[in-house]
Amino acid sequence: MNMAKNLAFKQETFRDDYTYSNSAEAIRRFPFPFAEDEYMYSVNIEQHNGGAPGSVFEHAIDVDEHYVAECADRALVLEDDPLRYIALPHMMDAQWDMVELVMDSLSTDYPEQFKLTKDGDNWHWINKPLGIDQKFVFGDESTLPMQPFEFVGRQVQGDWIILDQRDDDLFADMGIVTSQADWSMAFDAGMSFKEWHGPVPQANELGIFDRALKYLLHLQYGSPVRRLNWTMTVNPRLDTSPENYPLWGPDNVSVTPENVGDKVHLRVELQALFRLPRSNAIAFSVRGYLASVNELATYPRWAKRLRRVLTNLHPDLSEYKGLDFYRQMVIDHLAPMDDGTELELGTHPE
Amino acid sequence: MERGYWIRSKPLYDSLVWKQHATGHVVIAEGEGGIAVLKLFQQMCPREPIKLLFADDTSATKKYADIITKLVPEGLQVCESGEAVLAALREQLPDCLMGTQFYVAGSEAFIWAVIEELKVYGVQDRNVEKELSGTLARSVYCVHCKTTDKDVHHSIHQCSGCGRHLFVRDHFSRRLGAYMGVMVDAEEPGNIPAAEEIYP
Ligand code: HEM
Repeated sequence: MNMAKNLAFKQETFRDDYTYSNSAEAIRRFPFPFAEDEYMYSVNIEQHNGGAPGSVFEHAIDVDEHYVAECADRALVLEDDPLRYIALPHMMDAQWDMVELVMDSLSTDYPEQFKLTKDGDNWHWINKPLGIDQKFVFGDESTLPMQPFEFVGRQVQGDWIILDQRDDDLFADMGIVTSQADWSMAFDAGMSFKEWHGPVPQANELGIFDRALKYLLHLQYGSPVRRLNWTMTVNPRLDTSPENYPLWGPDNVSVTPENVGDKVHLRVELQALFRLPRSNAIAFSVRGYLASVNELATYPRWAKRLRRVLTNLHPDLSEYKGLDFYRQMVIDHLAPMDDGTELELGTHPE
Repeated sequence: MERGYWIRSKPLYDSLVWKQHATGHVVIAEGEGGIAVLKLFQQMCPREPIKLLFADDTSATKKYADIITKLVPEGLQVCESGEAVLAALREQLPDCLMGTQFYVAGSEAFIWAVIEELKVYGVQDRNVEKELSGTLARSVYCVHCKTTDKDVHHSIHQCSGCGRHLFVRDHFSRRLGAYMGVMVDAEEPGNIPAAEEIYP
């Protein structure tokens, strides 16, 4: 099926009654991150210049059935807490870079849904799914209803952090972050690569951050890269921010052996990095995909793999990711599906 | 320490030592930072011009301005308060930038307030010598209501903005000059561990 042409957007929620779920097609293309029975942090960076048709890697920015609902959830978060959007003053060039990246990518990859017309600096942007029709002058802030990066940031799924590069380091000087796994943009704004990664266990000791930073400093325009990261979330909640921990913290201890399969979700982050042409900044997108343990377990291979990875997980990673309370329940829930047969290398569902 | 591993956003501080290859030196200190200043001036002083901005902590019993005045004949400006030091710095910064080496001593909150001023002029914090003096008290930023409370001495702190009990993490923001505070009983409301004085 050609996702680009046949996108049907779901009406669903990521809070309160949590009506979010995945279609069979969305489960099939889920970016399952475990190629082996063990998981440890690594510099898992690869090229991001197109993937298999229909896969989440096909386009620079993936748009799927959850697009409209995710943008609506982002709007709710921003209304409640405007500081989820932060742009330090020296980032204006990068803001326009982001307008270009988002509008060019979406209109090229999803022409049925997004349309961009350029007449010199006079641009005309149409976003059909969200009902937006905006003419503006590229480079002239006053012609948009809000800051340029916020304008496009509200029209993409996933969080975006824009890194300023100076003194051989990267600084988190801009971001729109409403669906994060327990870190705060308002707090981390202005931090360097090593600082914002400060709380992560094990990775520094393995030399991962040194190597990753060195690599990223040389990232070229036109050659984006990507990596996967993962954690788990109770309920399909996008906004698991520290800001709102009082709201979702109690959910962590609401898991029982009866509800674990539906309540606990694997949350996979497709992280892509793009060099931006005007500002020389780097755009870092963190696109989250959520699937419940039961949804994933529709593929026996994934059920077995997930059980083994969780069983073998380093205790520091389990604690850091916040899995300690329910990890064993997930393992037990999947146990009847794991006959112990050897699984070949790879993340594929079948 | 948190969860048994070191959070690397927590800054490291050193003892002030004169740096070479500067065209001028600016020392900025408050309160117990006075001791760091006295130690600095016991070292062989550089030949380039030195400027010193200092304020005693008005609430502390120990004062250093008098001794410093005797020891530092030139370039000294004694201010009324830490705030006044920041104001003086703001005023004089544009005159003393190229090639200037900066030295800061005092409480952690003071150090990072000074560095915020310097940053406006493109001075990187890694190029500023910093000595933490007197107290390990933390400024704590409540990640829920965004209030920053100063002079926090305990592992658990009740936020003055929203009243929540916050666990004080080691994660530090230089821009905010504060550690992150996160609600300690979010998962099980009311289950609040005893606060211990670990930042005397
Ligand atoms: C340059 C853009 C990047 C940004 C803005 C970024 C940001 C973050 C943030 C905010 C966290 C959460 C830290 C916390 O607990 O407060 C994190 C976690 C992490 N980051 Fe990055 N990161 C970037 C790139 C990378 C790269 C290139 C790698 C490795 C190759 C990496 C590896 C990790 C790992 C292993 C974690 C722990 C994740 C987990 O266990 O859930 N990051 N990152």
